[in-house]
This record gives sequence, structure tokens and C-alpha cells, in this order.
Amino acid sequence: MVFAVVVIAELFAFVLSLAGNAHDPWSELGLASLFIQWIALSSAAVMCLARPLLSRLGDMAAALTSYLLLLLTTAIVSELAYRLAMQDQNLYSIQHAGFLFRNLAISAILSALVLRYLYVRHQWRQQVRAEAEARVEALQARIRPHFLFNSMNSIAALTRSDAVRAEQAVQDLSDLFRVSLRNASERVMLEEEIDLARRYLRMESLRLGDRLQVEWSIDRLPRKRLVPSLILQPLLENAVYHGIEMLPGGGRILISGGAEGRRISIVIRNPRATGSAEAHRKGNRIALENIRLRLQLAFGEQAGVALREVDDEFETTLYFPREKMQ
Amino acid sequence: MKCLVVDDEALARERLIRLLGDCDGLEVCGEAAGGEQALGIVQAEQPDLVLLDIRMPGMDGLETARHLLKLEQPPAVVFTTAFGDHALEAFETQAVDYLLKPIHPERLQQALDKMRRLSSAQLEEVAATQDGHQRAHLCARVRGNLQLVPVSEVIYLQADNKYVTVSARDQQILIEESLKSLEEEFADLFMRVHRNALVAKAAICGLEKDVEGHFRVILGGTDERLEVSRRQLSAVRKLIKAGVVG
Repeated sequence: MVFAVVVIAELFAFVLSLAGNAHDPWSELGLASLFIQWIALSSAAVMCLARPLLSRLGDMAAALTSYLLLLLTTAIVSELAYRLAMQDQNLYSIQHAGFLFRNLAISAILSALVLRYLYVRHQWRQQVRAEAEARVEALQARIRPHFLFNSMNSIAALTRSDAVRAEQAVQDLSDLFRVSLRNASERVMLEEEIDLARRYLRMESLRLGDRLQVEWSIDRLPRKRLVPSLILQPLLENAVYHGIEMLPGGGRILISGGAEGRRISIVIRNPRATGSAEAHRKGNRIALENIRLRLQLAFGEQAGVALREVDDEFETTLYFPREKMQ
Repeated sequence: MKCLVVDDEALARERLIRLLGDCDGLEVCGEAAGGEQALGIVQAEQPDLVLLDIRMPGMDGLETARHLLKLEQPPAVVFTTAFGDHALEAFETQAVDYLLKPIHPERLQQALDKMRRLSSAQLEEVAATQDGHQRAHLCARVRGNLQLVPVSEVIYLQADNKYVTVSARDQQILIEESLKSLEEEFADLFMRVHRNALVAKAAICGLEKDVEGHFRVILGGTDERLEVSRRQLSAVRKLIKAGVVG
């Protein structure tokens, strides 16, 4: 870090002496280097010392404080340099105010550039990290191992008793996993997503039998709309895992959807099991955050997810604009 | 040897029964889709072994096993589960036997050869590690039979020497547990009103002062008025004010 500061300061000294038309460029460079290195290194030292203070401030306040600190350091070093030069009258005939003013102006421009550069770099790093996190979460929000092994168990049972259904179950399960292994940012048609949800629910009803009732009411839902993949299935999986499976008598999942004005919305309603309501909320939060993030990456701020508890039911709503995706 | 298969999924039961059919000297004496049904069959059929699914609605496998231990001669228990997540570490450390679904015939045979009997200490230890694990029923042995009281119907729990009286709308049972452990397990449903009593928060209707100047709590579903100690008075008042009570 210190090395980078020294190199950049030295390069700037070169620029200054190349731009000036002094009689003796080399001694000019020497003096300029000395002076600029002083300012650069003391600025770096000041910033290091101020770090604990800066980290407690907000982004904007920290930037402003850093800027003022840099200017102040420049002013102090310039003042000291001027006094030093004054002791040797022959060295330079410089004007006090002019010298200070020029240095401050240069420092003001350069500090602004440096801070801007650091800010952009910081933002870029944060974005990279956020994307990486979103990807990991997307991976985790995918199909639960619990579902995989239970399905495998159902298939193991069916291979002897009902080979046709076993075959269909293997196909459905393969489709589900093929989609879950895709890139998280991939887009699919809404009708594909709905088809996948149907396959998922068919797998689950194999296992749960009459306990799982599903009702679709999606006639008014536009099918040819690109959406991020796996936005429905994780919500349905939560509804089954925490809701239907935890109710001795089972229950009904209602999926409805439609377009109103410029907005498409899909609503999932499912019963809430008293014993596992808390786990259900937590599971929903994780899945919802993930889906919200992916919807907003695809559609911007107009897309989102909302969760409500109505009587004994959870109601989850996905919404996004009708227009084409960005 | 008689054994009982308990799982809420019909296909899982079907497969396990088929696997057990291939083992020698074994007779499947029944199947149950849930814990309560299982307890009934165990008492009627007296199986030597119960294969219990862990994740079931209502009364789950762990709770079923804990109630089974109240029997005079509890059967051996092997748990079954689909996914070996970290919850199973507790089973492992307590040497409680379990099988992962889909079950391998060889692993099943191994479990049958071992036939571990459980102790209630083991199960309580396991339950303590399962985040927020709460029984749905309290259970006592009455004249050799298990009597279950759903926790949601309990009005109050009162300690007396080594027993705790569980009082519900139309029945009372005595259980051999400490009031303190019950208070911890059901902290969200019950509150302490006195050194010797917990009452269901949902049953609290109000407070009254008796002739001796003691406060007593009025409870829905019973004429019994339990004394409220001075230490707990403000907590009870707060609950009534907050309108959480029925």
C-alpha cells in the first residue's frame, strides 16, 4: 500500500516537472518529488490514523471527512515547506499565498480523483460479493435433500408395486434436478416454470397421497413471459415441507395468478401447521429473500415478493411487471 | 419376533414391510400412519420392535418413543429418516439406532441383530438438542395403559411431591416429571403463577382476591382458582393487560 502511494506520488512529480518549463528539469524533479512525497506519505499516515473514526461514519460523511483531512495535510505540509524555503532566501522567490493556493488547488483535484477511484473500487467489490452470495443462496434455496431422499424411497417402493408410476416419478425427478442444476441467472418461460411446479407437486402427492390437495387457478396468467427459473417451486416446497406434511389430515395448496394493469402476480395459499409455524416462517424468509433478489435482478424494483398470514393460512405473492425483462 | 412399522407415508410403509418380509423369524404385526395410532397398536399387540419414522405430523417419532418408554415393557425402537442432517448427530452420540431411507436390506438386518433398547435419558438428551422440540402430548400410565393428554388442552400443571398433576378440561393425570423441565419445554404456552404451578396462558381469564387477601387466577374450563404468588403477580397482570389471554 505504502509502495503504491510512493509510486503514484513519484509519477505525479514526473508529470509536474515535464509540464513545467524550468531551466533545470532534474533539480526541479528532485524538489517536486521531495515535496510531493512528503504530502503523499503524511496524507497516508493521517488516513491510517483516522481509520477508526472514519469507519464509524456513514459513507458520505467518511468521504467528506477524508477529503478535508487530505486538504488540511496538504496545507500544513505546504506551510512547513514554505517556512523551510524562507530560511534560504536565495533558493526561491516564491509568494506565500500563491504557493499555498496552488498546492491546495492541486490537492483538491487529485484528492477528489483518488477518493472517487477508491469509492468506485469499493462499490465494485461489494457488488461482486453480493453476486457471489446471491449465487450461493440460490444454490441453497434449491431442492431440499429431504425431498430427494423421500422421493427415492417412494420410487424404491413403486418399482415392485407400480412400475408405470415409478417410471413417471423418475422422469419428473430428473426434470426437477435438471432445472435445479442450471445456472441461477437463466430465464425460462412462465409456462415452463408452471410445468415444473406441477411435476414437483405430482412427486409430492405420490408420497403424501390424499393429504396433498392442489388447486390451480391460472387461466388469466400470461404464459409467454420470461422469468428467472425456480421462483415457484421453492415456495411450493416450503408449503409442503412445513405446512401440508406437518398436518395429520393434510391440506390444500391454492395457486392463483393473473395480470392486472401492468403487473403480473402469482399467489400461493397454503395451510399453516401450528407446531411448525415458526420453522415455516424462517424457511419462507430464506426462500423469499432469494426469490426477491433474483426477481429484482431480472425486473428491477417493480418486482418483489410479499408474505401475509391470513387466518390459518400463509399467503405468498410474487409480482413483476408485464413488460419484457431488462 | 413381532414388529410394528410407523410412517406417515404409505409408500414408505409398503417398502419397509416388504423388506421385513424377507427377514427370517419376523412377523409384522401392524402398521401405523402416526404416533398416536402407533401407541394404540403397541398396547394391543405388544410388538418386540417398533420402526419409527422421525418426521411425522402431530406426534413425531421422537415423542412417540418417549411415550413408549412409559410402558412396563417398552419395545426396542429403530428410527427411520430420509435425510441425515445434523439432527442425527444427537442420535449417533446417544447410540440410538436409525436407518436412512431408502433403507438397505443389509443395514436393516444389522439393526435387527442389534435390537437396542432405549432409555429415557437417551431420548431426553436427543430431544434437548433438537431445536425447539416440543411434545404435542403429555402421557401417563394408568392401570397399565398409556393415557395421553394433548398439550393444547391442558389448563394447568401442579406439582405435588414427586408428581405433577396435569389438569385438562375433562381429565386429570399424574406424570413423573419436574415442573421446571415442563416450564422450559413449554415456555411459550405456559406461565408460572406459583412455586408449584404452571397455567396455560390461553386459559387465563382474570384475577380475583380471596377472603385471605391472596390473589387467585381465574381459568377458563375449570372452577379451580390457583393461587398466584406475589412474585409472579405482576407478570400475570401484564399478560392479562396485553390481551394475550382468552
